[in-house]
Amino acid sequence: MDLSRYAALFLTESREQLGACGRALLDWERTPASTEPVVSLFRAMHTFKGMAAAMGYSNLTELAHRTESILDLLRGDPASGRDLIDLLFRIVDALEQGAERAMAGGDAQLDFTKLLADLDEASAAAAPTGSRAMPIPEVAAPAFLPGREVRVTIRSGAAMKGARALVALRKAEALGSVSEIRPPGAFEQELFDGRFSFHFSGAADDLALRAAVEAAGEVATVEFGTGDAAAPGEAAERSRQIRVDLKRLDAIMNLVGELVVAKGRLTELADPADSPELKAVGSRISRIASDLYGEVVQARLTPVWQVFDRFPRVVRDLARQLGKRVRFEVEGEDTQLDRTILDEIGEPLIHLLRNAVDHGIEPAEQRLVHGKPEEGLIRITATSDRTTVLIRVIDDGVGIDRGRVLADARRAGLVPEQTTELNDDQLLKVLARPGFSTATQVTDVSGRGMGMDAVFSRLRALGGSVDLATTYGQGSTFTLRLPMTLAIVRALLARVGEERYAFPLAGIAETVEYHPNRVATLEGREAYALRETLVPTVRLRERFGVTGPRPPGRSPAVILDVGGRRAAIVVDALIGQQEIVVEPFEAPKGTLPLFSGATILGDGAPALIVDPAALV
Amino acid sequence: MEERVSHTVLVCDDAIFMRTMISDILAQAGFEVVGEAETGREAVEKYRHLKPDLVTMDIVMPDMGGIEAVREICKDHPEARILMCSAMGQQALVVEAIQAGAKDFVVKPFQPSRVLEAVQRVLG
Repeated sequence: MDLSRYAALFLTESREQLGACGRALLDWERTPASTEPVVSLFRAMHTFKGMAAAMGYSNLTELAHRTESILDLLRGDPASGRDLIDLLFRIVDALEQGAERAMAGGDAQLDFTKLLADLDEASAAAAPTGSRAMPIPEVAAPAFLPGREVRVTIRSGAAMKGARALVALRKAEALGSVSEIRPPGAFEQELFDGRFSFHFSGAADDLALRAAVEAAGEVATVEFGTGDAAAPGEAAERSRQIRVDLKRLDAIMNLVGELVVAKGRLTELADPADSPELKAVGSRISRIASDLYGEVVQARLTPVWQVFDRFPRVVRDLARQLGKRVRFEVEGEDTQLDRTILDEIGEPLIHLLRNAVDHGIEPAEQRLVHGKPEEGLIRITATSDRTTVLIRVIDDGVGIDRGRVLADARRAGLVPEQTTELNDDQLLKVLARPGFSTATQVTDVSGRGMGMDAVFSRLRALGGSVDLATTYGQGSTFTLRLPMTLAIVRALLARVGEERYAFPLAGIAETVEYHPNRVATLEGREAYALRETLVPTVRLRERFGVTGPRPPGRSPAVILDVGGRRAAIVVDALIGQQEIVVEPFEAPKGTLPLFSGATILGDGAPALIVDPAALV
Repeated sequence: MEERVSHTVLVCDDAIFMRTMISDILAQAGFEVVGEAETGREAVEKYRHLKPDLVTMDIVMPDMGGIEAVREICKDHPEARILMCSAMGQQALVVEAIQAGAKDFVVKPFQPSRVLEAVQRVLG
């Protein structure tokens, strides 16, 4: 048999199974006496073993087999195995890396001697009282049926649909490994409508699985698919799914981007032309391009749990390493975000989480002295409105000591000498300076070379921004504001000197004529009286060092608003609104940190995209 | 010759009315009710002695509740076939019972056909 054609499937499936192992271990660690996590762990390990064996990876198979044997014993008495959890984490890591190496032809070189020895030693120590291993149906056949989504509907007249759904799940679990049950936590709810889905992997084919699930009774429909679950309620008219390589999606997105730009040019050309037909075609292409863009954007949206999933482990490992007790909660993991943005924010978020564990959460003794629960709490939440996704990293730790940051910032000349207090915005600006750190607060704990400044610049490059709210003694909240989709945004084009600049509409409150009678001073700086409030002014000509002649008459100003912070940006002229394609942008060293990207305009000329968050 | 030996059942409920009703439904369908229990503790003890093919288990009982009894029984006998008997509005408890090892459930008021269907599923 040619095994290479199964290779990609093996890798995907083994990642899933080992991922499930990791989650089960975290659960087990939280509730050492409960059977459920050990059983899930056992099943996932068992499935992985079957796949590794079928691929002929004997070293992987052996480690998985020995691990499974110990788990088998522990199922009857999970609490007796709590000392093994660390070792098991290491084993899962080793299997994960091993699977990749084995795929590259390196199974024979894998050496698990040390882990196997540790396993022997640990299992001798933790021999559970009496052997009461539960019978588990043998999943003997190699599990090469691809993992799939199973959608089940409980009959509408059935009593206690949640309990019935659980019975059905149990039947499926007898055949293989079940994960990603959605909607989560619904079965206890009296109002649960009987529609749920889960991910199944194991040797059972659809027919066997259907029969098992239907044997739970009161089951109306069982449907199979791959990829994402249809949301409950859409089960009836769910669409068929295929997997698409992200690169292909990127290529389509780029082409759509070019189409949108070309469309813009066409509209410009058609406008003065005296041809109703040309205009009609122009507006039709316009509509099609927008629809096409909308579809591609939808196709790229990915739930944030795909990146959040590894965070519990990150927080746990660091907390243990530092000897801290930390509870970690995730909310809104189904919130959707463009795949590229999601991939980019993983590292900044890990940085914030590690900072929270390392510098936010105090040692237990200190927490108790201050009347806080011994266990620290770190939460990550994701919410979205139509165009923006907010991700918050919240800790109930010590917060940031403004006095200390202020002293350091003064010494470094980052704030004027007379500054007596830093507000949250100023604090953030100081923290965001490259290389800025205080001994107790912001350091690079990860050793990966990503400092706070890197977090901010990464987010800016994505068209996002960061807010900080911190109370000394009570904790900190970092709020990341991100565009839900990356590639195309509506922007206002403005001219300053010879250049055109794009202001994303999401950051604009309004535009005004900059009236000289309304110019005032705020904290020694020019400001503009906008109705009842004074808004700080930024003159882009000065900021950009433009020297040429200024156009006659009054200049227009763009009023930016980012999370309530505002600024009046004086430009030479407003050109109009346009859809622009955001190109990835690495600001050259030494340039002003005012731009979040670049774009090509309809006439082929480049323009820089102004980052509103950098100006307010 | 009989095609098969009839299945044995242990009926657990603190209300004698319910025990009688369930026993009748099952007996008429050819099951052999080998024991009854009024409390969870009694259910656990009788299970050990009788090793019945099927247990029907009320959720709320004095001394030891049905869920704890399921947990106790399944600890030593994970193969036990336990059918929960519940009332409307107890979904969270039923879910807990299934997590503890119960195999299925019926909801009061009992319709004989429903009870027998559930029993068949558990034994099947």
